[in-house]
Amino acid sequence: MFERFTEPARRVVVLAQQDARERAADRIRSEHLLLGLCRATDTRAATLLAARGVTRAVVEADLGAAGPTERPDQPDLPDKAALASVGIDLDEVRERVEDAFGPGALESTRAAGSRGRRWGHIPFDRAAKKVLELALREAIRRGDRSIGTEHVLLGMLHSETGRAMPLLAARGVTLERMRAALDEPGAASG
Amino acid sequence: MADATAVAAAASSRDPATGLAAVASLRTLLESLEELQVRNARDQGWSWQQIAAGLSVSRQAVHKKYRRHID
Repeated sequence: MFERFTEPARRVVVLAQQDARERAADRIRSEHLLLGLCRATDTRAATLLAARGVTRAVVEADLGAAGPTERPDQPDLPDKAALASVGIDLDEVRERVEDAFGPGALESTRAAGSRGRRWGHIPFDRAAKKVLELALREAIRRGDRSIGTEHVLLGMLHSETGRAMPLLAARGVTLERMRAALDEPGAASG
Repeated sequence: MADATAVAAAASSRDPATGLAAVASLRTLLESLEELQVRNARDQGWSWQQIAAGLSVSRQAVHKKYRRHID
């Protein structure tokens, strides 16, 4: 599915996954994709968002104000913050394990898999999948050959794509406005 | 990682929720690392006896735990 994604758009998906993991979410949702767009700061989408005052901090504040959707922490899950409390850096451990056994080695173990998804592959929820499908459609609609961050942004501005759309609408970021902004001269892909 | 002061504060916390969560996470991490190491040892031709000695447990214990999932 991601073979048509540009490198920045792939980075956004990776960041969204990281974000979902850090928040102990069981699915990658549209708000995680939005945070990913904000975090990849040098991209077309992040530039469009930042110009309208939508940054990572703003999105996090809005999500916090709207109330949590994540399930509470399960005590038996490997928890990055809990390990940090006894001086263990989970990212550092993962990095060293992957040096020896390859990418995803830690996540591939039964111990990690049987106790939750926080370490490993987290699936997209239905709305986030829809965002990615709509991103493809937006790219086709614009005659672009690859899916960039701006298409992911347009994808999440459709209805029934989860929490990102109403949050962005409240900040004045709508499908029509973003399409228009991309039609302005000098709008590079990325 | 969080800054050193915050980590030190959390590590010395007497809040059971913090301490127990740390232990639970350590256990999961331990299980993952053990699994990777046992699999690697088997891939390199180590016997269950040798692996058990390396882990300082009985051969029966390690064999029972992993034989169904490794090899």
